Amino acid sequence: MRPAAALALLSALAAAALLADRWQVVAAIAAALLGVCLRAPAARRRPYLLGCALTAGAVLLITPFVVVEGVNVLWSGPVVPVLGQLDVTSEELAAAAFQALRLSAVTLAFAVYALLLDHDELLRSARFARRSALVVALATRLVPTLERDAAGLVEALRGRGVDVGGVRGRARLVSPLVSGSLERALNLAEAMEARGYGRGGATRPPALRWRALDRGALAAAAIVAVGALWL
Amino acid sequence: MQDVCFTYGDEAHPALAGVSMAIEPGEIVLLTGRSGSGKTTLIRALAGLVPHFHGGRFGGRVDVGGLDTRLTRPSELAGTVATLFQDPEDQVVFGGVAAEVAFGIENAGVPAEEIESRVCRALDEVGAVHLLERKVAELSGGELQRVTLASTFALRPSLLLLDEPTAQLDPEAAAALLRLVRRLARERGTAVVLSEQRVARALDVCDRVIVLERGGVVIDEPRERARRWFQGARPACLALARTTQARYVGGDTLCRLDAVDFAYASGPPVLAASSLELRRGEIVALTGPNGSGKSTLAKLAAGLLEPLRGTAWRSGRASYLSQDPGRYLARERCDEEVELGARGDSGAAARALEAVGLSGYEARHPRDLSSGERERLALAAVLATEPDVLVLDEPTRGVDPEARQRLAALLRRQAGQRATLLVTHDLELVEAVADCSVTLEAAGELLAA
Repeated sequence: MRPAAALALLSALAAAALLADRWQVVAAIAAALLGVCLRAPAARRRPYLLGCALTAGAVLLITPFVVVEGVNVLWSGPVVPVLGQLDVTSEELAAAAFQALRLSAVTLAFAVYALLLDHDELLRSARFARRSALVVALATRLVPTLERDAAGLVEALRGRGVDVGGVRGRARLVSPLVSGSLERALNLAEAMEARGYGRGGATRPPALRWRALDRGALAAAAIVAVGALWL
Repeated sequence: MQDVCFTYGDEAHPALAGVSMAIEPGEIVLLTGRSGSGKTTLIRALAGLVPHFHGGRFGGRVDVGGLDTRLTRPSELAGTVATLFQDPEDQVVFGGVAAEVAFGIENAGVPAEEIESRVCRALDEVGAVHLLERKVAELSGGELQRVTLASTFALRPSLLLLDEPTAQLDPEAAAALLRLVRRLARERGTAVVLSEQRVARALDVCDRVIVLERGGVVIDEPRERARRWFQGARPACLALARTTQARYVGGDTLCRLDAVDFAYASGPPVLAASSLELRRGEIVALTGPNGSGKSTLAKLAAGLLEPLRGTAWRSGRASYLSQDPGRYLARERCDEEVELGARGDSGAAARALEAVGLSGYEARHPRDLSSGERERLALAAVLATEPDVLVLDEPTRGVDPEARQRLAALLRRQAGQRATLLVTHDLELVEAVADCSVTLEAAGELLAA
């Protein structure tokens, strides 16, 4: 399947996960995307799945405290300025779980895009908004690059006998990782300019021919996106 | 280039101060000088990146192929000029090798039907056509360097700018690359500016030498006159002097690796039944081609990795200097960076900075240093830990000849305090300081000890 067709299908699945009202539909989408995601090598998919679990967990934990819904109170806490009465109802828990499931499905769609699609072909087949496509492709590389930089920093700190365990140890990494990313971005921008990026008259690679499978994926994407309104 | 002056926006001193030069088609100019002397800035000026990309105060005039760089954007110069930057990882745009090499020529407007053949030809020229279908993320440092070089060759430029292109290559690969550059210059008439710290090996391929110092030209001479100048004024640039300190006389064992095997997760074996012993007072050099497992064996010796099979025994504190000095930029001042491993001992940090020639740099931000200075800062950060086992992975990469000579003397002077494992492609350094040498062949096969 052409990456552009796969991207359309993934976008439709993510949109359906956001639009659908039934948790079973969202769960089915998330499960299908997780199944696809597991085809990527374990080392590469780990940060994406970890990120997915962490963000979904955060939504599950925070939502009951910021949403006021339902009457079946499971726990009643103190009154907190701005937030008001802290309590948790069974309806709030159900809503939080549903939102966490939605977020998981969307995050997994992104993970499949980042892990399994050929970004070079996507970029080369972009007939419009090529700059935006390039920005997205480069941003997608940020996750593995950051992971590699973090591993390198940890190794260098451990190599000097510096403790990098615990929250405090990990906190040491934030500033150098951010500044390192900025420096890397500047270096890349410089290299791209030196290689002629941005000048007029660039050659566009010939358009790739779409096969039946690609057209089928596009049709499926349209059906999923529209059908989600009734699910 | 006529009387070019340039000062970066937030700097007090000029990076280039009145530089004038002319380069003829087919000429290879070796550009050298100490770390921070202005080599990279000069290359940026020739590519038009100074002042367009970096801002700052610019004076004088640079003409490349009849184009005034003040009036022409760097992207418009691309094709006439091609630049290979110091760190190949920072210039990769695409995920696949073929798309990466094609990027520049597509931007230059080369007809679509020619692109594939130009990509294959460029990869073939650098001996990397077998990498055509590979992902960039899967390449070793040396392979990536070849791919980025192919990206510049594919443009068929009139002026090729190479900023320390051999820094990450083993001696054979470095020699092959320099031969290739010479062939390109001769066959196509491409003018080449080659910035290099390893003067001795680059001298054999260049026609002319320019030495920079504090942004100004110290000498601009034909090769043989320059060679004589180096012999008199900077002999360390031509050959590393053998240190005169006493050699190893026998000490207690501090690290022993017995028949260790290692492989990274789901990867092929990197080391197979490799053994190594490090004793106090001894400097052991570990050499071998790119990808032979040198760094992995060094990390096992330093305790950063544990073997899958075999035994690793270590005594005392071990410290490890990574190949990438960019990993030693965790703090915002040089002295704080060095103190980090010295458990806040400012005295030890000051001594380490002085030992690597960075006294006076205490308050500077590590990211403001040149690549050679960053390498020395990383070395200071490791030395300040005062380890029993010191593992140095390519400590002379990007380091200027004088700093390299100082490092050699320092390693020998402090050899008695510890066991030292020196992982390097720098065979001159091995000759100058090592008590013994171990060579790894491909896939971690131990050849000689």
